[in-house]
Amino acid sequence: MKKMLTLALALVMALTLAACGGGQSGGDVDYVKEKGTLIVGMTDFAPMDYRDESGEWIGFDADMAKAFAKSLGVEVQFVEINWDNKAMELETKAIDAVWNGMTLTDDVKALMGTSEPYCMNAQVVVLSAALADQYRSAGSLGGLSFAVENGSAGMEALDGLGLPYTAVDTQAKALMEVASGSSDACVIDLLMAGAMIGEGTSYPDLATAVELESEQYGVGFRKDSDLIKAFNDFWGSACGDGTVMAAAETYGIAQNIIEK
Amino acid sequence: MASFWTVTLALAEGLGATAKLFVLTLVFALPLGLVICFGSTSAFAPLRWLVKTVVWIIRGSPLMLQILIVYYGPGLLLGLPLLPRFTAALATFVINYACYFSEIYRGGIQSIPRGQYEAGQVLGMTRSQIFFRVTLLQLIKRIVPPMGNEFITLVKDTALVRVISVYEIIWMGESFIKKGMMWPLFYTAVFYLAVNGLLTLLLGWFERKLSYFK
Repeated sequence: MKKMLTLALALVMALTLAACGGGQSGGDVDYVKEKGTLIVGMTDFAPMDYRDESGEWIGFDADMAKAFAKSLGVEVQFVEINWDNKAMELETKAIDAVWNGMTLTDDVKALMGTSEPYCMNAQVVVLSAALADQYRSAGSLGGLSFAVENGSAGMEALDGLGLPYTAVDTQAKALMEVASGSSDACVIDLLMAGAMIGEGTSYPDLATAVELESEQYGVGFRKDSDLIKAFNDFWGSACGDGTVMAAAETYGIAQNIIEK
Repeated sequence: MASFWTVTLALAEGLGATAKLFVLTLVFALPLGLVICFGSTSAFAPLRWLVKTVVWIIRGSPLMLQILIVYYGPGLLLGLPLLPRFTAALATFVINYACYFSEIYRGGIQSIPRGQYEAGQVLGMTRSQIFFRVTLLQLIKRIVPPMGNEFITLVKDTALVRVISVYEIIWMGESFIKKGMMWPLFYTAVFYLAVNGLLTLLLGWFERKLSYFK
């Protein structure tokens, strides 16, 4: 019995020591350069990150992430993450950046270090094209049932208006809710709505109505990471030499970009 | 039709991860379960309590939470580097399923009449001789149906590993929702049914093979 107790105590001490040792590290930039890869956590989110025909990640954010990694002299590696776990992924170094059209909400800023905003966006109501004209103001939305991504800026907007909603796990599912008729309308990112609804898309019968709230996108890094400054510097020079606008034109979001 | 083929290929890729997780979990959890079973039936009380407490924690908490803790825990609590995603998922499944298996083994062992142990002792056999020569074969036969249940549950539980971004079948199916296709998610059920159908046939065959002692 005594022996087991001693063993248990020794184990606790060993773990405590490991905990103290783990916190030591140089800057994040050195860490990334040393391992030679910048691991970017993202999701499939057109037009920011999506796969082309050959399966390679493209999109405005993906292209910029590649350019940023190049400026650091490292390879970029994209990891499709479970969006709910993004802060844990960063904190545990499973990834080095969250770069996926992330809205800079108060929650996000509390959970991670964030870059300066690089893109404007809005939360927009999407519903059947036949009805869209009737809902041009926030005040006209009473009586509709909504679907919205859990924890998103759109959900905050609906909370602010006191409108009822069903929280789903992705924006794409919110669109499915509307298409399947289980909700009257959904609230999603304007950029995403631009890419996913209307003629020539999977949802030709849906249209955007009123915009609820404008917001800004930023890139997430670990708290107090020196990668934040590295990104801000990179963004300044990439805006200066035209790289940013060229990519923004390609993906149709030039009017949303915040240049530096 | 082209999209049907693309979706099937993507889901088949997910099935690879699912199948790998299933097979490796069984390979490690079946023997580990027996070890845990010996612990929980040990004559040494502190060991027995310790093992029973561990089994209670593992069986009593959600598997999804355990996956998150094993993957993110070392990094969040101790600042240690993480295990690869699949390895963390596998480790969690092995520990979790070994605990369930241990209870099935225990039920099997304790269902063997006491008289057989006593007869073995009278004949001068050691404990391990009694286990391997008398108990084990009868044990295997009795535990096949409850084990089969666990195997089938395991196939479906593999879907949980998508919380740490292991790209199994459901993850692959869900990724099509963003492209406006809902049906691939439901189509994944065909894959699970096929695997479990095969497993059911295999277990039935195995049970017939074991119809000794009749």
